[in-house]
Amino acid sequence: MSHQRYPSHDAIKEPHSISLKQQTLAPPLSKSTTLEPSPASLAYQTKGSTNPSPFLLSPILNLPFSFGSAYTGETFSCTLCANNDLPSSSRAIRDVKIEAEMKTPSVGRAQKLELKTQHGEGPRDLEPGETVQGVVGFDLKEEGNHVLAVTVSYYEVSETSGRTRTFRKLYQFICKSSLIVRTKMSPLPALPSGRRRWVVEAQLENCSEDVMQLETVGMSVEDGLRWKGCNWEVAGAKGPVVKPGEVEQVCFVVETVDEGGVMKALPDGRLVFGVLEISWRGEMGNRGYLSTGKLGTKVRT
Amino acid sequence: MSEPQRTSSQGHSRNKSVTKSRPRSSTKGPLDVDDDPLTASSTPKSNLSPAQSAPRRTSRSPGARLPVTQVGQPQAKDFSFLLKPEIYHPLPPQNIPAAFRNSDKQPGTEVPLEELLERGHLRAAAIAAVQELTGSGATRPPDPTDSKRIFELLYTRLACLTLIDATQVAAQEVKALEDLNNTRLYVDEATGEHLVPWELRVLNVRLQALGFGDMRRSIMSYHDLARESRSRIAKATNDEERQLWKARLHQLGVKVAGALVEMNDAAGAAAHLKGLHDNGDGKMALSKALVWLQLGDVDNARRCAAAHGDAETVGDIILALCDMADTKYEAALERWEALREESQDEMVGVNAAVCLLYLGRLQEGREIMEELINSGFSSHTLLFNLSTVYELCAEKNRNLKMALTERTAAMAEGPAGWEKQTADFKL
Repeated sequence: MSHQRYPSHDAIKEPHSISLKQQTLAPPLSKSTTLEPSPASLAYQTKGSTNPSPFLLSPILNLPFSFGSAYTGETFSCTLCANNDLPSSSRAIRDVKIEAEMKTPSVGRAQKLELKTQHGEGPRDLEPGETVQGVVGFDLKEEGNHVLAVTVSYYEVSETSGRTRTFRKLYQFICKSSLIVRTKMSPLPALPSGRRRWVVEAQLENCSEDVMQLETVGMSVEDGLRWKGCNWEVAGAKGPVVKPGEVEQVCFVVETVDEGGVMKALPDGRLVFGVLEISWRGEMGNRGYLSTGKLGTKVRT
Repeated sequence: MSEPQRTSSQGHSRNKSVTKSRPRSSTKGPLDVDDDPLTASSTPKSNLSPAQSAPRRTSRSPGARLPVTQVGQPQAKDFSFLLKPEIYHPLPPQNIPAAFRNSDKQPGTEVPLEELLERGHLRAAAIAAVQELTGSGATRPPDPTDSKRIFELLYTRLACLTLIDATQVAAQEVKALEDLNNTRLYVDEATGEHLVPWELRVLNVRLQALGFGDMRRSIMSYHDLARESRSRIAKATNDEERQLWKARLHQLGVKVAGALVEMNDAAGAAAHLKGLHDNGDGKMALSKALVWLQLGDVDNARRCAAAHGDAETVGDIILALCDMADTKYEAALERWEALREESQDEMVGVNAAVCLLYLGRLQEGREIMEELINSGFSSHTLLFNLSTVYELCAEKNRNLKMALTERTAAMAEGPAGWEKQTADFKL
């Protein structure tokens, strides 16, 4: 994540007493150990059988590297730390407050993010060397440039005076597409009862760099319609594992509830079925969720 | 291939470049007639079959010309091709923090290899092993026919490299061994035993797969070794021997699962682990759970917790990991805290600290990790995580990290390895 420090809002040119640090919090990685040929080599020291050596993976958790890719459908999680970097207690730091906003590619105005801290949202006083830490989360829905804007404000008290100071830091990152969904709708012969039916096929392509296990695929249909999946849940099986670059095909049948039922049509004469909803889990359980735009088909005349 | 030590030593030998390509596997075909005039005269004991011809060196072993040997006398193998200095890479100390480089604990050149290993100077041991192999140190190189010492040194070298995060170097150096299935070179005719120690043969599989960039090959090679283990179990004359080969077979099974994980086939690894014997010490349950978590399948991972066998803590560890995968950090923290009260396990402490960081309680996490350092723990993960926390805690975090290198360098030496690298401290 590239970042850039905005000039402070106040006119004072001296450096700030507070530093801001961030680290993305992807799910921690279960550490892949290097090869373990001898007892000397355990990934960590233990007395019991809590190390599955010689197996390649071990349960000790590595914090994520600071770089990493963000993908649509996943939750962006990040910790923010404001630190009192003053060497001694020459000046006191009061009422430290961190505010975070996310700017997405489409929405013009930034969205305010809730900062979860141990001590609640209120401002805090910081002794030298102390840190106030918060965690923010944001559901990524769009591809493209995102900017996390963090504003830190605090009140600096010296022996003779006090002043409020503020600075802002911007962290920019690119959110990539995780799953490409291609759909196709085709009519099925109507049922004897007169209900109209369509088949909705979708190809889900994993275009991220990680393996994903599909959890559920389903539809959220318009009134007057109902749907039925023809996928793994019918057989009571677990969702398939889709490796990077692989494609999984899913299929649904959509039908009208009533005979010859009324359906919503868009101005351009398309019939609207509803949206496709897909949820998956990635490495270390990382959750993903995506829903498509409205799916529909042209009315055949 | 089930018993490579028994296969006949026929086959025309080929001159080929030593380093680049994958070694030719020891396949035989109808065209591979015994056409070496030297061996024709030295058929040893049996005349049952021309397949049991006398040993002869391949053209791969440098030293080229064969001395004419006495009829019936197995010839000592020449491994001088493993003693060439150009095989081995230098291990410069640039990536070692100054606190370690300049420490009084740095061993002198006179310290013997065994002591280096005992004290955990793994980089120094890797260097010393090569100095002995190539005769560039104080000692003379081993006799090219002293296979025992040569392979001992080579194993020490490669194992130490993997432990100091120089696996890629090891993967290049291991290519010099070429094909360990080459029975003419690596099997002792007199006993039928493979001359290379088992540990090195197993280590060689993964390193060669990495070196030649073909992980699939390692699956096949592990299965070759497994086949040999099975036949040794069947032929074992006493229980001790049987247990040894059974343990080796089991270890190979686990290695295959690891290779599948390395090939990004966690689903395949999970399926493979299902078929392995679980001796109830909890390791298998934990391995399975970790593979499921790698796949993101928390439900299946949670199910492994019940199958922990005699090791109850393993069940708790799995559940705590599952809670973290479900982002239920509060619940996970409770489990880690309970586990911490039971035992002083480095992994539990590190994971509790990670959990605290995700809960926005970085300060407490930092305290736990610093406590672990004070207790003498210093795994890569602990140092990496603590350095990450230092980066979050201060603008001028370099000082904190440097102090951490000092503290780690002041720790007692031990076989787990004493010297650390700059990357461990994110320096």
